[in-house]
Amino acid sequence: MFITDTFATARRAIGVNRKRSMLTMLGVIIGVSSVVLMTAVGASMEVLILSQISSIGAQSMVVFPGQKEGVESTLAAGFDSLTFDDVEALERLTTITSVAPAIFVDIPTAVYGREKTQPRVIATTPPYFQNREMPVAVGRVLEERDIMRARHVVVLGSDIADDLFGLEDPVGKQVRLGDLQYTVVGVLEPVGTQFFQNADEFVFIPLTTGRAVTGQKHVNVITLQAVGDFDLAQADVESLLRQRHGIVNPEGDTDEDDFIVRTSQQANDILGAVSLGLTLFITTIAGISLVVGGIGIMNIMLVAVTERTREIGLRKAVGARGRDILLQFLFEAILLTLFAGIAGVVFGVGLAGLAALIVDKYLESYDFALSVPAIGLALAMAILTGLVFGIYPARQASKLSPMNALRYE
Amino acid sequence: MAKQNPPLIETVDLCKSYFNDGMETPVLFDIDLTIREGEFISIMGPSGSGKSTLMHILGFLDTPTSGSYLFRGQKTRVLHDDELARIRATRVSFVFQAFNLLPRTTVLDNVILPLLYHPTIPASERTERGMKAIEQVGLTERATYFTNQLSGGQQQRTAIARSLVTEPDVIFADEPTGNLDSASGIQVMEVLQNLHSKQGRTIVLVTHEKTTAEYAERVIHILDGRIATDTRDFKRNHAKNVKHLK
Repeated sequence: MFITDTFATARRAIGVNRKRSMLTMLGVIIGVSSVVLMTAVGASMEVLILSQISSIGAQSMVVFPGQKEGVESTLAAGFDSLTFDDVEALERLTTITSVAPAIFVDIPTAVYGREKTQPRVIATTPPYFQNREMPVAVGRVLEERDIMRARHVVVLGSDIADDLFGLEDPVGKQVRLGDLQYTVVGVLEPVGTQFFQNADEFVFIPLTTGRAVTGQKHVNVITLQAVGDFDLAQADVESLLRQRHGIVNPEGDTDEDDFIVRTSQQANDILGAVSLGLTLFITTIAGISLVVGGIGIMNIMLVAVTERTREIGLRKAVGARGRDILLQFLFEAILLTLFAGIAGVVFGVGLAGLAALIVDKYLESYDFALSVPAIGLALAMAILTGLVFGIYPARQASKLSPMNALRYE
Repeated sequence: MAKQNPPLIETVDLCKSYFNDGMETPVLFDIDLTIREGEFISIMGPSGSGKSTLMHILGFLDTPTSGSYLFRGQKTRVLHDDELARIRATRVSFVFQAFNLLPRTTVLDNVILPLLYHPTIPASERTERGMKAIEQVGLTERATYFTNQLSGGQQQRTAIARSLVTEPDVIFADEPTGNLDSASGIQVMEVLQNLHSKQGRTIVLVTHEKTTAEYAERVIHILDGRIATDTRDFKRNHAKNVKHLK
């Protein structure tokens, strides 16, 4: 008996009972396809989240005002723990460069001629655009002289520019923000969503202009860059702010701080934790469904052994050894789960593609991504399921006495 | 003629009992039987007499409880399962009452099934050997048919071809006509008889029908697990008896 004969025999047996084989495989197909689907969604989410946080460069930090005892800071003002004096102090740190404070100016509408739109107005300084990696498409970004003179100039996000000007060139035109007229000096490249906010809906005015309009004494956010060692720079920022705010926090417990430093490292850590959790969750689900599918396979294989008792008897009567029968039924179980695994992968990839199409409509920059190791693992698990759950029925078959098997009605 | 041939099968004091829940049910008692190469022998007896059990033991499908069984002079009780399987693959073959063909499988694939388990015949020779066996039972034109497309007689001839394909030392036929109408039964018996008379094959036929048993030269009657009569040159004797009765 050659291994190829065993293989051919097993394949034929599956083909003869095609309908039942399909039903048998269903459990494993569902198991494998759900693994593939879930990991694909996970991979897509990872890509999405990565694209959101990659707007903080590796050397960048973002400091938000916070509140003691870890109440989340909100982007929409509220906390006033960061001051312009803090900004000046930060600028003096040698481990830090490119400090750009920003305040959120509450201006609900931007108007140009008869066009009207809802921008998010940010008052900031020139380094902001480098820190946030926002390149200019036409015109220029804010410059030092705009800050010095508190000029009424504005740089538009690409969506706002589209809304107000359409195909017209916005540079040099006047836009009304609230009660005041601003001259458009530049339009940014589309950058998509950052931190799940559409950055193309931002408009930027000089920090000094924003302060004059709002009279605000505190800063909503500070972006800055580390020079040299990142961890050292972060420690400098944190200890400076603690010292200035009179916080005694030698352990570096961030719950004690009244500010939050966000770094790409942190974001990566969070992402890693999230995706680890997701992976564990999916693996558990996959494990359960594969066990359920495997029991289904074992059940059907046991039925097949009973049903084909006479066939087993015949094969033994014409010279099959116990191990020939064992291998035949084991191969059958493994082939079943292999086919089921492949079908599950195809099905799962299809579903993931469909999911990507649908989600993309609601969540910008959600892209189709697959986790190749997960697919390989799911396939391997499926085959292992066949092996594990196929052994018992196969052993039962191999142990049948040929005479009793032949007599079996 | 057959008498001079060396013994193929020899049993001495062969006994068989079945055990159910510790209860012993004896089936065969002290069977002493010698079958020589080239013999065509019928084992007759009513149902429950033990004739099928004897055939199963002789065909290495079952093992005796006590006594000895020598096949080609070799003691069989010391054989392991794998060795028994090897003997079944190479030395003996079976024709069953219920045909036991694989459904939804062609005649050829059914016939070459034993070759899958044959230890020495290479895969490349399977089809050729299979077709040769099919030719001997006159089913060449049906070789690619599925077995469920055949008549009962054709199915049994397929089974006979399957029993020939490994060129065994002995063919055991267990009630081969039991599921057939009389015309098909005669056809099947003629095929078996030809194999014996033209090719000198050893055939052990188990039946309870006298008309079927008559094809053999030697008839053994089993009654209650013992050999009751052993008649050689059965045809001649039988013919004499018939004449006598007339």
